Amino acid sequence: MASILGDLPSFDPHNFSQHRPSDPSNPSRMVPTTYHPTHNRTLPPPDQVITTEVKNILIRSFYQRAEEKLRPKRPASEHLTSEHGNKHFRAASSSSSTQGL
Amino acid sequence: MSVWNYVVTAQKPTCVSHDCVGNFTSPQELNLIVAKCTRIEIHLLTPQGVQTILDVPLYGRIATLELFRPHGEAQDLLFITIERYKFCVLQWDSESSELVTRAMGDVSDRIGLPTDNDQIGIIDPDCRLIGLHLYDGLFKVIPFDNKGQLKEAFNIRLEELQVLDIKFLYGCTRPTIAVLYQDIKDARHVKTYEVSLKEDFVKGPWSQNNLDYGADLLIPVPQPLCGVLIIGEETIVYCSANAFKAIQIRPCITKAYGRVDIDGSRYLLGDHAGLLHLLVITHEKEKVTGLKIELLGETSIASSISYLDNAVAFVGSSYGDSQLIKLNTQPDAKGSYVEILESYVNLGPIVGLCVLDLERQGQGQVVTCSGAYKDGSLRIVRSGIGINEQASVELQEDEMEETEIEGFLSEVQTLFCHDAVYNQLVQVTSNSVRLVSSTTRELRNKWDAPAGFTVNVATSNASQIGDGTLTEVKHVLLEYEVSCIDMNPIGDNPNYSQLAAVGMWTDITVRIFVLPDLTLITKEQLGGEIIPRSVLLCAFEGISYLLCALGDGHLLNFHATHVFAASDRPAVIYSNNKKLVYSNVNLKEVSHLCPFNSAAFPDSLAIAREGELTIGTINDIQKLHIRTIPVGEHARRICHQKQSRTFAICSVRNHPSAEESEMHFVRLLDDQTFDFLSTYPLDAFEYGCSILSCSFTDDKNAYYCVGTAYVLPKENGPTKGRILVFIVEEGRLQLIAEKETEGAVYSLNAFNGKLLAAINQKIQLYKWMVRDGGTRELQSECGHHGHILALFVQTRGDFIAGGDLMKSISFLIYKHEEGAIEERTRDYNANWISALEILDDDTYLGADSCYNLFTVKKNSEGPTEEERASMEVVGEYHLGEFVNRFRHGSLVMRMPDSETGQIPTLIFGTVNGVIGVMASLPQEQYAFLEKLQTSLRKVIKGVGGLSHEQWRSFTNEKRTAEARNFLDGDLIESFLDLSRSKMEEISKGMDVQVEELCKRVEELIRLH
Repeated sequence: MASILGDLPSFDPHNFSQHRPSDPSNPSRMVPTTYHPTHNRTLPPPDQVITTEVKNILIRSFYQRAEEKLRPKRPASEHLTSEHGNKHFRAASSSSSTQGL
Repeated sequence: MSVWNYVVTAQKPTCVSHDCVGNFTSPQELNLIVAKCTRIEIHLLTPQGVQTILDVPLYGRIATLELFRPHGEAQDLLFITIERYKFCVLQWDSESSELVTRAMGDVSDRIGLPTDNDQIGIIDPDCRLIGLHLYDGLFKVIPFDNKGQLKEAFNIRLEELQVLDIKFLYGCTRPTIAVLYQDIKDARHVKTYEVSLKEDFVKGPWSQNNLDYGADLLIPVPQPLCGVLIIGEETIVYCSANAFKAIQIRPCITKAYGRVDIDGSRYLLGDHAGLLHLLVITHEKEKVTGLKIELLGETSIASSISYLDNAVAFVGSSYGDSQLIKLNTQPDAKGSYVEILESYVNLGPIVGLCVLDLERQGQGQVVTCSGAYKDGSLRIVRSGIGINEQASVELQEDEMEETEIEGFLSEVQTLFCHDAVYNQLVQVTSNSVRLVSSTTRELRNKWDAPAGFTVNVATSNASQIGDGTLTEVKHVLLEYEVSCIDMNPIGDNPNYSQLAAVGMWTDITVRIFVLPDLTLITKEQLGGEIIPRSVLLCAFEGISYLLCALGDGHLLNFHATHVFAASDRPAVIYSNNKKLVYSNVNLKEVSHLCPFNSAAFPDSLAIAREGELTIGTINDIQKLHIRTIPVGEHARRICHQKQSRTFAICSVRNHPSAEESEMHFVRLLDDQTFDFLSTYPLDAFEYGCSILSCSFTDDKNAYYCVGTAYVLPKENGPTKGRILVFIVEEGRLQLIAEKETEGAVYSLNAFNGKLLAAINQKIQLYKWMVRDGGTRELQSECGHHGHILALFVQTRGDFIAGGDLMKSISFLIYKHEEGAIEERTRDYNANWISALEILDDDTYLGADSCYNLFTVKKNSEGPTEEERASMEVVGEYHLGEFVNRFRHGSLVMRMPDSETGQIPTLIFGTVNGVIGVMASLPQEQYAFLEKLQTSLRKVIKGVGGLSHEQWRSFTNEKRTAEARNFLDGDLIESFLDLSRSKMEEISKGMDVQVEELCKRVEELIRLH
């Protein structure tokens, strides 16, 4: 019967190939060098300092609902020509803008 | 004054909370990244094993850790969130070998209830979103743009308030999360949501109600299978939009998992008892057909598991030592598939500790109660210089080859033997001095002692000996016998000594004579009655010293490179900044040693111990040496008793399956061998809460007092406990007296020959009564009410400091005449105390449950009574570690003649296995170091763009305030790791020479 632990993944066959087990009753302590950066790239590019959108969730949903109510009217008032085109583009515009909810 | 404090880490955190594997340092290299609370360690997998590259301190407590690869990147990035609502994305720049911050941010919200469960930080497998769950009812999304850059974060309302786990699902056209949650009836369910970039959730493809009551963990399954595994305590369920499979498992709480195969068909699961299982998803092509689970073997109790490569996995533990394990295809004789390749020391969680100075060298040895459950242990931590053993031979007579040197006199005892210039050997016996050729082994010259004189002690150096000539130059008669002698060359000429040092019997002096005419130039009275055993003339950093070792183990230096002092407790003495430093060595019972320099072992030492010869080199960094005594159960309190040379511990043994799942004990151990000598089992449901060794008025016996609590399942808090008084007789614990109490005895202190106990809301004083019949008992004398729970008590003279569960620190006084305890003043802040210590008569130190340290001061000079009744907060600092115990003491040998010897220190232990040192500095030194710290903040940058100032600011639920009157020793001591140019930058800014700065920082390092 094949072992349940057969064919365990191997990414680099060399890894652990020369490992010599130390005495497990005598635990080893890794003492690596401690990193103290002095370079300037510990700060990210200015556009990658992320903050949270300040708008409160409730306010945001009010605005969203208000926008939805307003939106169908807007094409009518702005471009009369687009009213014809609206039938053509309806599928596209609806999926990209108003049908989010 | 103990207001100006310096806090430094002697032992970095050792608890592993998270780990992950990926190609971080290069596309070809496989890395193991391990999080240890406030640090990450970057390791590289190599043919030899796991090689540590870097230890990275972070200015924050790590909440989550994940590797991910945005589109178009050749190697992984590291995403870290920290508990104080910050995150960062780090990249390894292999050209400069530096960590670069790709992005960072503040993810806090002004309103919102922080989650009770762990913070969650996850990344969509297709790298479209980062998801965060930090506050109940909110899910925060940080979207990626198509170039892998992060955009502004937004919150989405999450209906589920009690979230247990959230994971992103694989293979979804839109980012989809599975949410495991508990409803108000405590039933657990999973729901899925699509995260729409319209800043809202859309109902997901499936949900599953009424899961296992213990379901606590989700494992997302990668493509092609997709779906999620829901890990419960009695069942494991596989769930996806089109399949549902479940299996029953032996009841266990799964603490960690690690995915084995890239396709997600096998997982390693680690449970609360340290058992490792393999979970297999059986499938036919992309159709899941079932689940299988197999027990593999036992490891430490895992907190995280990562499959590494070629059947090797890493088990990170916060309850025991972390381990590197090999998964064998066939079980061993005991049926285990697991082979432990390596263990990595973990001291955490340190719940109790004691500091003792068994050898009375002024150097503390810390014994900690470490680990939890089956991985519980005692750890003996000592600071010292290590000998790196290069080779060692066992000395057996039949194996030693004896060489006859013809020129030596072998019928009489040799007093002294040494090699000398011109290939000669010197032998001194009680009546002659012989000079022998080391090449021909023949006698070249000899000198016989005149009749009536015998030689007692002798010395020589290698150079002041003629080529084949021996002449008596001078002879003087002294009034007493000589006990020891030395003429090691010091001064300008390394080959010629102008001085001889002589130690004397009877008048107990050391004398210095000028060579060669032996005129006495000085005589020093040593005082006392202990004869000098060994003298040595030597020079450290150009300063000449005379070292004199006494028969009782004291070492005196008279205004005097490394000297190795051989004894039953070997030590190295060296000079640093023209000050002598004494350091222990990690060897026992050295009888003799000498320098040994050969091609195979350059600059080594040959060390003779009983039956063994070791060759090694001195490891010049003083570091902590840790010895582990496995207990096999959770040791929680420890105390040492000098008189009986024992330790007593309170411990708890868990039987996960048995009806009565816990058993509590008081156990007695030998303080040298750590053998268990005796055990006293406590009653059912009775916890050992505190332990103390003390003596009482009019009774010189040493007793162990143990405070307990009956923790009954149906009670909210304990209402009954006991104080047990034991005496150690013939290595056994004998119960002498017991006293019932009206609550849990959280703390016990020796107080004016009486016993002071903290019992629930009360601090109670007991006196010790010896009855006529010889029976002894505790009798209640007085007490003080007024705590929520009096958890910690410390005393100093008649002063009592109480640390409350919620009400910070109060100061009480015992009035002898009235036999009463009165509260004088208190800190009115609502700090939840986790440890307490008295620094001096006026200043008290507290650690709280928000990982802060603070000092408060009695305001006894205050003009109004109101002011006098309230303590003034004088210092605040965010340590970032949960302190369980402070103890006065030092980890290093403290010489009263050195400046650092005057600085009071205390040692603390934390949940993450940190051993820290806090030193109370003189104001001048503090002010100087504060300036240095400010300069260092500008030069040493926070990894991930995190700020040191913010990190060290005191913070709790109510307020955040800048750190004051505490210094971060870890930052200050990293000055010595800086490049010369950076040191000069700081030196210029402070207008202090680099050498002076180095010297002052090195002095601090010697505190730990």
